[in-house]
Amino acid sequence: MINFEEELKKFHPSLEVEDAEEAIYNQDLTDMTDILLKLLGKGGMFEGEARD
Amino acid sequence: MVCYQCGVRLSEHDFCTGCGADVALYKKLLSASNRLYNEALEKAGVRDLAGAVSVLKQSLKYNKNNIKARNLLGLCYFETGEAVSALSEWVISKNIRPAKNIADDYISMIQTNQTRLDTINSTIKKYNQALAYCYQDSRDLAIIQLKKVLSYNPKYVRAHQLLALLYIGEEEWNLAKNELLKCNEIDANNTITLRYLQEVNRMMMPEDMVKGSGKNKAADDIVRYQSGNETIIQPGRSRDFRIFSTLFNIGIGIAIGVAIAVSLVLPGRLKQAQSNHADQIRIISEEMDIKTAAINALEQREKRLLDENENLTAELNEIRSVPLSSETSDNLLQVAALYILGPPEDDDDEISQIERIAAYMDGVSLDELTYGDPAFKILYDSIIAVIGKELGDLCYETGYGFYRIEEFASAIPHLLRAFQYDPENGEALWNLANAYEQNNEIDKAKEAYAQVIEFFPDTDKARRADARLVEINITGA
Repeated sequence: MINFEEELKKFHPSLEVEDAEEAIYNQDLTDMTDILLKLLGKGGMFEGEARD
Repeated sequence: MVCYQCGVRLSEHDFCTGCGADVALYKKLLSASNRLYNEALEKAGVRDLAGAVSVLKQSLKYNKNNIKARNLLGLCYFETGEAVSALSEWVISKNIRPAKNIADDYISMIQTNQTRLDTINSTIKKYNQALAYCYQDSRDLAIIQLKKVLSYNPKYVRAHQLLALLYIGEEEWNLAKNELLKCNEIDANNTITLRYLQEVNRMMMPEDMVKGSGKNKAADDIVRYQSGNETIIQPGRSRDFRIFSTLFNIGIGIAIGVAIAVSLVLPGRLKQAQSNHADQIRIISEEMDIKTAAINALEQREKRLLDENENLTAELNEIRSVPLSSETSDNLLQVAALYILGPPEDDDDEISQIERIAAYMDGVSLDELTYGDPAFKILYDSIIAVIGKELGDLCYETGYGFYRIEEFASAIPHLLRAFQYDPENGEALWNLANAYEQNNEIDKAKEAYAQVIEFFPDTDKARRADARLVEINITGA
């Protein structure tokens, strides 16, 4: 049986367009590659794209 | 794929050919990211957008620079109505790869159309407002607001889900199900949607089925569920009734088929059978006519033969009734007396004994003897056995004398008696036949010739008689 109140808590407000910039800046973009490089003690050549 | 340290394109080796850096783990991470991207692509292909979003997030965790994965993630967000999230991903994507990036097109598509951007923003605001109404327990307002949101953006999955949740809260199962089905059309495998749908379906099932009991038989016949303030009661049909109905329909189908067969096929068959019977009757009638005619012919023949038999019987009786004349009996007795006692003493005639006997024998009728008293016939046969040859020779000499002078009519009786008294006398029979032929008594001649052939076979007389018969038959004389 679905508990309406509990289910309602799972719904969160959507990001509005005005909030998009802040959301982008705040997004945690750290990935496994960054962690690997940190573990190896080396900085990546590219802060941006790793071309494939 | 290039080295993270020097930027040289990596080979199949686990180290960089440019700087010698160990790139084994680095290559594995990128490969895992790409593999997850491929998996997400497959999921998105079957509209499993929630699954695709989840996998793409993992892909980006392995490699944040996977542009394809990030762009696809933005597309999945946009398809489910999360326009701002989509924009965020595309912006990041464009930031990572500014040139030759399709994310640039996506962003331009939204940003160049101000109306569309306003609509998106307005939709999001309304959704957030509806969510706020929900928190304030103003469900009716929330429903109204969400309906507006969905009228602007029908693909907004979260709005559909929230509306379905509100309907579920209001026990509007049908409406909730409709919204959830729309969600499924957009995002086929969304976990929240499926969970809500399962709940709605469970609530829409008949109460007894949910409980798994069949105690209340009457409840089997109806389907009852609550939809808002209304209780929907649909007539249900029990399994037995459906089976009975199916069998009944099959029975009606068979009956109709039989009726059509009877009305269309049977008359033709009957007509053909009648025609065959008529032909058989005609053939049998013809055979009966033929047999009837044959029976009539046989009956007529039988009648004719019976009449003939009666006539012959009467004739035979008539013949048998002929009494033995006194002349025949007297002459026969005289013959016997002459043979036994000899000639009378006062007889001075010059004729011989055999001539006397022959004279008396001429007065004996053989027919009368045959049909008369058997004793006289026995006596006659005894006399012939003793003196038959002498009598035959005497008659033959007399008859042959007439034959030689061509007095055939006179010769015939003597020759006839000669053969009668002495059946071994073939010459008498041969000359008798010739005499008949010469006297134009052809039938008797043929009969006499036939007797010659029969009684004296393999003799010269038989061969000559055969030749004469052939000639008589050819000439018809």
